[in-house]
Amino acid sequence: MRKLSTNSEDETIALGERLARELPSRCVVLLIGELGAGKTTLAKGIVKGLGAAAPEEVSSPTYTLIHEYSPRVYHVDLYRLEEPREALTLGLDEIFDRDAVVLIEWGDRFPQILPADRIEIELRHAGGDAREILVSRIGL
Amino acid sequence: MRILGIETSCDETAAAVVEDSINLLASVVASQLDTHGKYGGVVPELASREHLRAIVQVVREAMERSGTSYPALGAVAVTCGPGLVGSLLVGMTFAKALSFAHGLPLIGVNHIEGHIHAVVMETRHGGQEVELPALALVASGGHTHLFEVREGWRYRLLGKTRDDAAGEAYDKVAKLLGFGYPGGPVIDRLAPHGNPGAVRFTLAKMKGNPLDFSFSGLKTAVLRWTQARDLAAEIQARRALLKSNSRPATEDWLAVTPRDTLDLLASFQRTVIEELLRRVRLTGEQINARALIVSGGVAANQGLRRAAEQARFPYPVLFPTVGLATDNAAMIAAAAFAKYRRGEFAGLDLGASAGLTLAS
Repeated sequence: MRKLSTNSEDETIALGERLARELPSRCVVLLIGELGAGKTTLAKGIVKGLGAAAPEEVSSPTYTLIHEYSPRVYHVDLYRLEEPREALTLGLDEIFDRDAVVLIEWGDRFPQILPADRIEIELRHAGGDAREILVSRIGL
Repeated sequence: MRILGIETSCDETAAAVVEDSINLLASVVASQLDTHGKYGGVVPELASREHLRAIVQVVREAMERSGTSYPALGAVAVTCGPGLVGSLLVGMTFAKALSFAHGLPLIGVNHIEGHIHAVVMETRHGGQEVELPALALVASGGHTHLFEVREGWRYRLLGKTRDDAAGEAYDKVAKLLGFGYPGGPVIDRLAPHGNPGAVRFTLAKMKGNPLDFSFSGLKTAVLRWTQARDLAAEIQARRALLKSNSRPATEDWLAVTPRDTLDLLASFQRTVIEELLRRVRLTGEQINARALIVSGGVAANQGLRRAAEQARFPYPVLFPTVGLATDNAAMIAAAAFAKYRRGEFAGLDLGASAGLTLAS
């Protein structure tokens, strides 16, 4: 597990860009953290780092559930789902099978539907705009 | 001429028949059907499988209620984006099959353009035309966009949310405080019982386009406010209320919501409304707007309606009726008329576009 830290939204985006370069072309990345922890902000950086979209194009998929950015990036948010059944009917297994980077917010609520091999990034508030960011590889 | 509209982009399976871009003959939304209860009712129709279950019945109901036969239709219109591809495909495949079987022109409609046309249709029904250029604010759980609407129904994007949608901020704050989900209507009902000036939120200034919206910082500020207090007991009481009654009355909510929390809700609502209307005011002058259209689920918010009416904008402020603010298919049929006149028909190869944009 790696422990990183950032002091502002801009730094979190920049960290996301750096992390993007280390990601395999096909992987599932869980973004874990409470409301306002910076999950979508980090996703902006990762999407930018993968060359898929500019940070201002990346918004929260809470209501829309899945955003697609080409080439081959999915940004998923399971916040408003209540049951694993609902998450299953989204067709996530199909997305996991693709040659794509799949970023998932609130995925930790449904561990039973996640692939065994994944990257988990946990974001924690560390006072003001500062964040502590823990990156771990599970099963990989 | 009548157009059948079909909408399956996100949570709702919907069908509607509109005549001459003016008269709404029937609008059916699956979650509002009594018979839908047996499928679980409140479960969002987010999955293609759920749309599949509902689509045949919903379209049939719209055709029957409007007294329309397929040969009497001028076209079939369907949402082709933005939305979930799997969900969009259900409506699109159904629309294509109808188009092919009955020899009807097929028209693909952008969901967000649909929201704008719900208001255009209702304004026409009232004997008026929306004067252009107009400003259009489309705000819902999934979208917060500000457009300039030009002659010929051409659109220019003026601003959009950088992070959370306006409706999403409502939902997250409501959930945080134990008001359930979705939470927009509850906050709207309780906000008048609190003091909107009680809590001051300082929102970070954004870099880049000053017309873009941001609601993530406000959400985090509310989280901080709740963390600084011991709200466990009241949140517990509200969750218990929701368990015993899925639709509590305002008085029931008030009984489990202390003054401070009501003040927070009122202040939150005021901040969101100010955030929305401030940009409307700025852009209205820039483009010499002759009307303001507000649509999308957030347009059902009574606080926003009141504030927009009292803002004394130098142009008429147009809201849809509440039933046409949230997702529906009437707006899809309504938006199709201008495309029909322009001959913008789609082939059977029309594709679903998850990230379809209206303008950039």
